Amino acid sequence: MWHRERIPLLLAFVQSVLVVGWCFTEMEAGPGAAMSTQTNGDRFKIEGRAIVPGVKTQDWVSTARVLVDGEEHVGFLRTDGSFAVNDVPSGSYVVEVVTPTYRFEAVRVDITSKGKMRARLVNYIKTSEVIRQPYPLQIRSSGPHSYFMKRETWGWTDFLMNPMVMMMVLPLLIIVLLPKVVNTNDPEMRKEMEQSMNMLNPNPELPDVSELMTKLFSGSKGSSKAGSSSKGTRPAAKRR
Amino acid sequence: MAKLILLWLKCIILYNAVDAVFEDQVGKFDWRQQYVGKVRFSHFDTHVQSSKKVLVATENNVFAALNTRTGELFWRHVDKSGPEGNIDALLHHGQDAILVVGNGRLLRSWDVNVGGLNWEIVLDSGSFQKACLVGQQGTVKHVAVLKKNIISLHYLSNGHQKWIENLPDSETVDYQTVYSGGNGEVYALGIVPHSHIVIIAYSTDDGEIIKQISVEAPWLSNIVASCAVIGQGVLICVDSAPPSLYMYNLNPNMDDLQMTQIPLQSLGLEVAPDFQPVLVSHQPNSAHQPLSEFFLQLGPDNFLLLQFNNGQIVTLRDFKPALLVSFATTGEKTIAAVMSPKNKTACSINLFSAETGRRLLDTTLIFVMDPNGGKPEKIYIQPFLKKDDSVGYRAMVQTEDHTLTFIQQPGRVMWTREEALSDVVTMEMVDLPLTGTQAELEGEFGKKADGLMSMVFKRLSSQLILLQAWISHLWKLFYDARKPRSQVKNEVTIENLSRDEFNLQKMMVMVTASGKLFGIDSKTGSILWRHYLNDVPSNAAFKLMVQRTTAHFPHPPQCTLLIKDKDTGLTTLHVFNPIFGKKSHVTPPALPQPILQSLLLPLMDQDYAKVLLLVDDQYKVSAFPSTKNVLQQLQEMASSIFFYLVDSSQGRLSGYRLRTDLSTEQIWEVVIPMEIQRIVSVKGKRPNEHVHSQGRVMGDRSVLYKYLNPNLLAVVTESTDTHQERSFVGIILIDGVTGRIIHEAVQRKARGPVHIVHSENWVVYEYWSTKSRRNEFSVIELYEGMELYNSTVFSSLDRPHAPQVLQQSYIFPSAISTMEATLTEKGITSRHLLIGLPSGGILSLPKMFLDPRRPEIVSEQSREENLIPYAPELMIRTEWFINYNQSISRVQGIHTSPSGLESTCLVVAYGLDIYQTRVYPSKQFDVLKDDYDYMLISSVLLALFFATMISKRLAEVKLLNRAWR
Repeated sequence: MWHRERIPLLLAFVQSVLVVGWCFTEMEAGPGAAMSTQTNGDRFKIEGRAIVPGVKTQDWVSTARVLVDGEEHVGFLRTDGSFAVNDVPSGSYVVEVVTPTYRFEAVRVDITSKGKMRARLVNYIKTSEVIRQPYPLQIRSSGPHSYFMKRETWGWTDFLMNPMVMMMVLPLLIIVLLPKVVNTNDPEMRKEMEQSMNMLNPNPELPDVSELMTKLFSGSKGSSKAGSSSKGTRPAAKRR
Repeated sequence: MAKLILLWLKCIILYNAVDAVFEDQVGKFDWRQQYVGKVRFSHFDTHVQSSKKVLVATENNVFAALNTRTGELFWRHVDKSGPEGNIDALLHHGQDAILVVGNGRLLRSWDVNVGGLNWEIVLDSGSFQKACLVGQQGTVKHVAVLKKNIISLHYLSNGHQKWIENLPDSETVDYQTVYSGGNGEVYALGIVPHSHIVIIAYSTDDGEIIKQISVEAPWLSNIVASCAVIGQGVLICVDSAPPSLYMYNLNPNMDDLQMTQIPLQSLGLEVAPDFQPVLVSHQPNSAHQPLSEFFLQLGPDNFLLLQFNNGQIVTLRDFKPALLVSFATTGEKTIAAVMSPKNKTACSINLFSAETGRRLLDTTLIFVMDPNGGKPEKIYIQPFLKKDDSVGYRAMVQTEDHTLTFIQQPGRVMWTREEALSDVVTMEMVDLPLTGTQAELEGEFGKKADGLMSMVFKRLSSQLILLQAWISHLWKLFYDARKPRSQVKNEVTIENLSRDEFNLQKMMVMVTASGKLFGIDSKTGSILWRHYLNDVPSNAAFKLMVQRTTAHFPHPPQCTLLIKDKDTGLTTLHVFNPIFGKKSHVTPPALPQPILQSLLLPLMDQDYAKVLLLVDDQYKVSAFPSTKNVLQQLQEMASSIFFYLVDSSQGRLSGYRLRTDLSTEQIWEVVIPMEIQRIVSVKGKRPNEHVHSQGRVMGDRSVLYKYLNPNLLAVVTESTDTHQERSFVGIILIDGVTGRIIHEAVQRKARGPVHIVHSENWVVYEYWSTKSRRNEFSVIELYEGMELYNSTVFSSLDRPHAPQVLQQSYIFPSAISTMEATLTEKGITSRHLLIGLPSGGILSLPKMFLDPRRPEIVSEQSREENLIPYAPELMIRTEWFINYNQSISRVQGIHTSPSGLESTCLVVAYGLDIYQTRVYPSKQFDVLKDDYDYMLISSVLLALFFATMISKRLAEVKLLNRAWR
């Protein structure tokens, strides 16, 4: 008996021992070494301008930064909204203007080893696709970030405009109001209605949907009520 | 049509997965604190008299403006971390601030008012030495930058270079500083150590060399450390052996080749033994000469205010003891501030007239030192002229623990900034203790029964206590309600801390790189305790462990901080109470050997403290606490205790087992060839993680069981070859007990940095794809299959079948800074990944999107399982940012902690800033939402009630009428 109790305990131990264990093994910061091998060739400058339509630049430049490939290179915005990221070696980069308030689209900038620049749309799936963008970059904000969800507020209109409610209420209205509006005792009217009914149901051989449903559900008691309710409305209209 | 359905399905799923913040929740559960880091340079903005700004440039490459009234940030610019964003110099003129960045690579000018950039230029390469503002005829128009081999002059207005000159003999001469006295000349001062000083005067207009002189100075080795320029261009140097001052007039019509020596003895001064004297001079305005008064530091606590007058040195005042001195100027007046110790806990700051050395009346300011803080390191004085033309001032004191304190006369602390928190290394969240009454109640159930009557009495007394507490609570509510709202303070102090009913409020114990520990209330963010460990080595690694939680009343909770010197491996333990921050009376063991590994066992001693095992470099194990009881338990359990060691420099992973005599035995070893790849990180699972469901129900109602190996380690390797065609990232899943390799995957044409999360039966990692130049996520999930081998217990030693491995990869449209998974109490709630982005957002990405079973073609079954059809690109939606616009700079870590509510996970993100919030990965299913519409539900109930009443009445009337008919 004893060993059976012991096994889970044992495993709990093993688990915690191991999990705790990893924490203290220090690692060298890896990526730094990889970068240093880059040849100290020519360095270039990515230039552009960020625009938030209708907002003074002073109001947002102090919170903005230009990020090139994450935080690989960082640039700041001048008081007129223009920016230059200095000291960038040749390559292909994703340039983003980041502010907490406004949304800017990222742009991919390619720099050849001779310093020729080209800007294009960022497409992570088809990476070689080129849709040219103006260079020096003109990045226009597409509006403020939307961080928040709207609260689901409850209003009468929401309730009434709900399709389910509409579907329930409209037939009810028809059932209640129609007999009052139309004089069913008028034989001409009755004839007309029968005609229109036939128009609606052009193929008498086809089984009526409601009847089909009643047949289907009559087996199970629980849903028979639902069936009977539909039976109660439709044939009533037919009888007329 | 199928596509449409697919789209529709996707929309529905996406909508359901949305876990956004509502606008009215802003600041309700979350808070953010912004920091700048240890201040390196600081200037008060003086160009407007009423300015409230103080500019700070810090060692974390941050340039910011603080509000001197509140200590809050006006604006802050966070540059690239590392040496490339390092701020070398800060010069301040008018409303421009000039920064030299990245070892003299960039010169930037900032508009102080707006916080925007004026201009930025790239300087020529060469290591930076010194920069200074250059004035002419009373106005400052240029900035001079001295580098190892060149000197250049730039316009302040646009940064354009006016001239650049090569420094002569720059191979032999070490040019160290540049000086301008506002007379149309710029002096570059260089030195050939222990030989001579080279002085070159350039013309401000065209960079022409006006004069070049070598002055003998065989005793001098460093100009910056021991020289200063004072008065009308007099270079003054100090030397300790023999203690003397040396002077040289830079004025170019003098042709001396010797410096005038003035022995300090002739002034009646003496240097403290083994102390290198230091000079402090002051130049109030770059367009004018510096003051002729200067400070000479002769000992650690001895300063002298000296004056240079017609070739003579006059002692104005001797300050002993004095800790720190500083000059400051307002208008035409320059004052000298001296901080001297008053008693053990306080210092006093006094102002003296710089010209005469007379003490200014009513300028004493008392600075009370925090007994748990460090010593003062620097003072910055903000003087201002009062209406009666006397000088008033405020002082900013920087202490060793990176704290900034802003004090007003006579000693009122206006604000403090704990800048140590800009560099949090590790943290834990500790449950708050129960209140006295709660504990009393708990205690009733804990004790042994001693008779019926006494139990009844106990019961009654505890009920009475409860009643009393409730009444006092009511009374307090009533009392508070009568007071005006502004006076009611709900301040949290250590005394009134207690656990709330859902355990949502916790104590955040944060360990910072400077060695200062903080206890922060997670609800409000207020710092409840701080403790500065002043003997922490600068390159220490920390590990924080909770040995005893608050659950074991009356034993106090206990945390242990392991501080390891990375170079020597020597380790010390700091044991403290996480709620009060006090050092525990428990003495930790002395550890003479370097420690390789530490493990916290779930084993407890008789005082409910978990046992900490420490493995030293001889592979010997010591336990803390090491009572007899513990050692006995350890002996019993030894055969089931395994641990592993990682030696990343050798590429070796090895597993060990504990023997009963507390020695160890190696049982497996995995060597990863160092020539090809190196181990970057090793990740296990979190010990406090719970997995609720053992498997996943498939579309056909069968169950796919998860492979839940608690001992699984994920090892990440990177290739040593960094060529973009040949580099790769490897991931190895290895069982930590047996050393069995469960799975191995290689991502070709990829490189790090790799961020990894390992939890439940999945591993998610992110890397950079060099081929497609994008960030990619990959997920590995492990399944046992349709049957469990042993459903009751998992044993690494008895698991014959290899798990099924599923993997899928996705494109992620951003770089990431850090990544962590949410954690909840019981693991029922679905998981989200919290991803820190460089833009400052924290994205909460449902794990559902990272599921290797996402089908490419939708089938009935996959729809049944609620699988999202595969799409290569993951989306970043700002609605998923849990921190909305409260962006967090340089996120370094995200700490997740379960709360008492299953739906709720507490999140703390730290980096330069600290942000705390709650997340609800599956929404709040166990509490009423805070937008729950009580009005609606009660009005509907009431309406229904009345409707039944009325219809009942109507029915009765109808029945009655029918009966009458």
